[in-house]
Amino acid sequence: MKPWSRIALKSVAGLALALVCAGAFAQSYPAKPIRLVVPYPAGGPLDIMARAIGQKLTEAWHQPVVVDNRAGAGGNIGADLVAKSAPDGYTLLMGAVATQAINPALYSKIPYDPIKDFAPVALVAQVPNILVVNPSVPAKSVKELIELARAKPGALNFASGSTGSTGHLAGELFNTMAGVKMVHIPYKGAAPAMADLLSGQVQLMFDNLASSLPNVKAGKLRALAVTTLARSPAVPDLPTIAESGLPGFDLTTWFGLLVPAGTPHDIVVKLNAEIVRALNSNDMRERLEKMGAEPPPDNTPEHFAAFIRSEAEKYAKVVKASGARVD
Amino acid sequence: MDFALFHNLSIGFGVALSLQNLMYCFFGVLLGTLIGVLPGIGPIATIAMLLPVTFSLSPISALIMLAGIYYGAQYGGSTTAILVNIPGESSSVITCLDGYQMARQGRAGPALAIAAMGSFFAGCVATVIIALFAPPLAEVALKFGPAEYFSLMVLGLVGATVLAHGSLIKAIAMTILGLLLGLVGTDVNSGIARYSFGIAELSDGINFVVVAMGVFGFAEIINNLEQGEAREVFVNKVTGLMPTWKDLKDSSGAILRGTALGSALGILPGGGALLSSFAAYTLEKKIGDTSKFGKGEIRGVAAPESANNAGAQTSFIPLLTLGIPSNPVMALMIGAMMIQGIAPGPQVMTERPELFWGMIASMWIGNLMLVILNLPLIGMWVKLLTVPYRLLYPSILLFCCVGVYSLSNAPFDVMMTALFGLVGYVFVKLECEPAPLILGFILGPLMEENLRRAMLLSRGDPSVFVTKPISAVLLGIAVALLLITLAPTVRKTRDVAFQE
Repeated sequence: MKPWSRIALKSVAGLALALVCAGAFAQSYPAKPIRLVVPYPAGGPLDIMARAIGQKLTEAWHQPVVVDNRAGAGGNIGADLVAKSAPDGYTLLMGAVATQAINPALYSKIPYDPIKDFAPVALVAQVPNILVVNPSVPAKSVKELIELARAKPGALNFASGSTGSTGHLAGELFNTMAGVKMVHIPYKGAAPAMADLLSGQVQLMFDNLASSLPNVKAGKLRALAVTTLARSPAVPDLPTIAESGLPGFDLTTWFGLLVPAGTPHDIVVKLNAEIVRALNSNDMRERLEKMGAEPPPDNTPEHFAAFIRSEAEKYAKVVKASGARVD
Repeated sequence: MDFALFHNLSIGFGVALSLQNLMYCFFGVLLGTLIGVLPGIGPIATIAMLLPVTFSLSPISALIMLAGIYYGAQYGGSTTAILVNIPGESSSVITCLDGYQMARQGRAGPALAIAAMGSFFAGCVATVIIALFAPPLAEVALKFGPAEYFSLMVLGLVGATVLAHGSLIKAIAMTILGLLLGLVGTDVNSGIARYSFGIAELSDGINFVVVAMGVFGFAEIINNLEQGEAREVFVNKVTGLMPTWKDLKDSSGAILRGTALGSALGILPGGGALLSSFAAYTLEKKIGDTSKFGKGEIRGVAAPESANNAGAQTSFIPLLTLGIPSNPVMALMIGAMMIQGIAPGPQVMTERPELFWGMIASMWIGNLMLVILNLPLIGMWVKLLTVPYRLLYPSILLFCCVGVYSLSNAPFDVMMTALFGLVGYVFVKLECEPAPLILGFILGPLMEENLRRAMLLSRGDPSVFVTKPISAVLLGIAVALLLITLAPTVRKTRDVAFQE
C-alpha cells in the first residue's frame, strides 16, 4: 500500500471514528449533572425561568440540573465563566440581552466575546417593557407625553434599575427619537426605582411588564405604551410606542440559553429540542404568559444566533447614542 | 372595619391552621432556625435552593414555608452571636456586643432566652401591625424619597459614634473607614468603577457579610487562638438558663422600644430592617443607665433582637401591598409568587385574601412555634460551649467559609473574608471597636446614593433637605444629637458613658 493511501485510509477511519464518537456522545449526553449558570442574583424572572427549565430538563433526562447564581459586574462574571468553560454541554448559560448585546457596547472592558465565545441554543422569552407614568403626570398618551416634555424641558425624570439597563436605554432612545430631554435617574435595582415612581419622586419608567402591571391595574400607575414593535398579547389594548408617533421604536428584554463555543452540534440540537419542548408545555406557557412573554415561533439555534447578532448591532448604536458607559 | 378584620383573620387562621400548612410552617421555621444558627449560611441561599421544590406546592403553602425560613433565621441568628461572637445573620451583628459579654459572664442562657422572648413579642406586635395597618403604612413608606433617606442616614451616622465604648476619636476613625470601604464598587450615577483595581468581583462592592464575618468572626477566632490553652472557660460559670425576674424587668422597656423602632424601619423599602437593630441599640445606649453597655447589658441584647424580628416581619408590608421587595429575600419571595402565577402588588389583598391573611396568620403561628422550639434548645446551645475549642473553632470556620461562599458562589468572597479577619485582628490589637465600621459601611453607600439622587432630582438645589418636612425633622434631630454629644456641659457625662 502506498503511503498516501495509508494516510487517506487512516483519515477516513479517523473521521468515521470521530463521527461515531460524536453520535455516541450526544446519545449518552447527559451522563452527569449539568450546571446552569445564571449571571444574576436569585429571584428575578430570568432566574425563575432558569430554575423552571432546569427542573424540566432534570425530569426529562434524570440528571440533576444545578442552577448556579454567579452574579456581578452586570452579568459579565457569570457569562465569562461559561465562555471559558469546557465546551462539553455540561455548563449552560442563561444569557440575556445585557450579557450578549448591551454590555459589550456599554463596558469599556469586557473579558469575553458575546458572539464568538458562545454557541446559542434557544431563546427562552422575550418580555416587553412598558412605559408607565405616575398618575400625577397629566399626559394620557405617548403623544401628550412628548408634548409635555417639549413644553417643560428638563421637568420630567425617568427612573431605571441601573445604568445601561433596557429601562435606561429605552428612555435615552425615546429622548433621541422624540427630540426631548428627560433626565435619567439611575437606581440600584428596579425595586427602589419602582418605589420612587409610585410615590411620584420620579415621573416615569420603562419597566418590565410583569412587575408594573399589578400597580397599573390598581390605578397607582398609568401605562402609556409597550416598547416592542408589536402589541403584547398580555395587554392587547395598550398601543406601542412605535405606533404612537415614534415609528421604529423597538426594545425588548430577552433571555435564552447558550453554551460555550465549540460544543458538539449534536448536543446543541439535543438541548434545543428539549428546551423547546419544555417551553411548549402547558405550565411553562402559562408562566410565560403571566410575564407577558411569548415563546418564539421558530426557535432553532440558528434563529437565536441571528437574533443575537441583530440585537448586538442594534444596541451598539443605541448605547453609543445614549452616551452611557460603565468602566 | 373591626368586623372585617375578624372575618379576614378567621379566613387567615382557617388557611394557616390546616394540617398541611402547619407542617410547612413548622418545616420552614425549623430550617430557618438551623440556617440562622450556622454563621453565614443565610435565608437567601436556602430559599433559592428550595424554590424549585415550591413549584409543586400550593402557593400559600410555599409562601408560608419560605416566610418561615426568613423569620426563623432571625431567631437563630442571635445564637452564634451570643455564644461565640460570630453573627449568624447580618441582622445579629449588633447582638455580638453585649450578648457575647453576657456569655462570658456565664449568662448565655438568659441572653438566648431574652433574645427569643423579645423576638416573639416583636413578632406578635408586628403581625398585628401588618393585619391592621398594612395599606396605610405602605403609603407612609412611600413618603420616603431620596431626600428623606439621606437625612435618615445622617441621623444614623451621628448615632454611630454612640456605638463605641472606647475613645471617641477611634469610633469616628472606624466610622470613616467604614464609609470608605462602602465606596468600593461601581458608582450608580456615572458607572465608573471605584477602588476596584480592575477586579471584576469588586465592581459590585464588598459584600456586607464578608466584612461582618471577617472583623467579628474570623478576628475573634484568631484572637482566641492566640490565647492558647489559657483561653477563657466560661462554661463553669453558667448560672441558670432562664432570665431572672430582674432581667425581665430590665429588658421589658428595651423590648418595647426595639419593637417600635424595628416595626417602623422595617416598613421602609430601602432595607430598613437591617438598620433597625443598630438603631435600637443606639437608642438604648442613649437612655437610662448606660454604664453596663458593652459589658453584658441585657438591654443590649433585648432591644436589637426585638427590633430585627419586628423589622423582618414588617418588611413584608411593601412586598404584599406594593409588590416592592425591600431586601434580597423579599425579591426571592416575589419570584416564588410569580412562578405560582401571582402578581405581587396591591391586588393580592383583594383578589387572593386567603393568601394574604393566611400568610399573616401563619406568621403569628410561626412565631409561637419558634419560641417553643427555641427555649428548650437553649440548654443544648449552651452545652455547645463545652465542646473544646480545637474542635469547635475549626468547624465554625468551615461553616463560615461555606456560608460566605454561598453568598454569590464566589471563592473571592472567602479570600476577602480571610483578609478582613486579619484586619479585624489588627483592630482588636489597636482596641478599635468594629461596630462603628460596620455601620459606616452600611450607611455610607446608601447615604451617597440618596444624596446624589436627591440632588439630581432637585437639579442641584440643596434646599430640598430642609424644605421637605420629614427630612427637615430628621436633620434637626441629628443636629440636636450632635450638639448634645459635643456640648461641654454634658461632656463629662458622655465621657462616663464612653468609658470602657
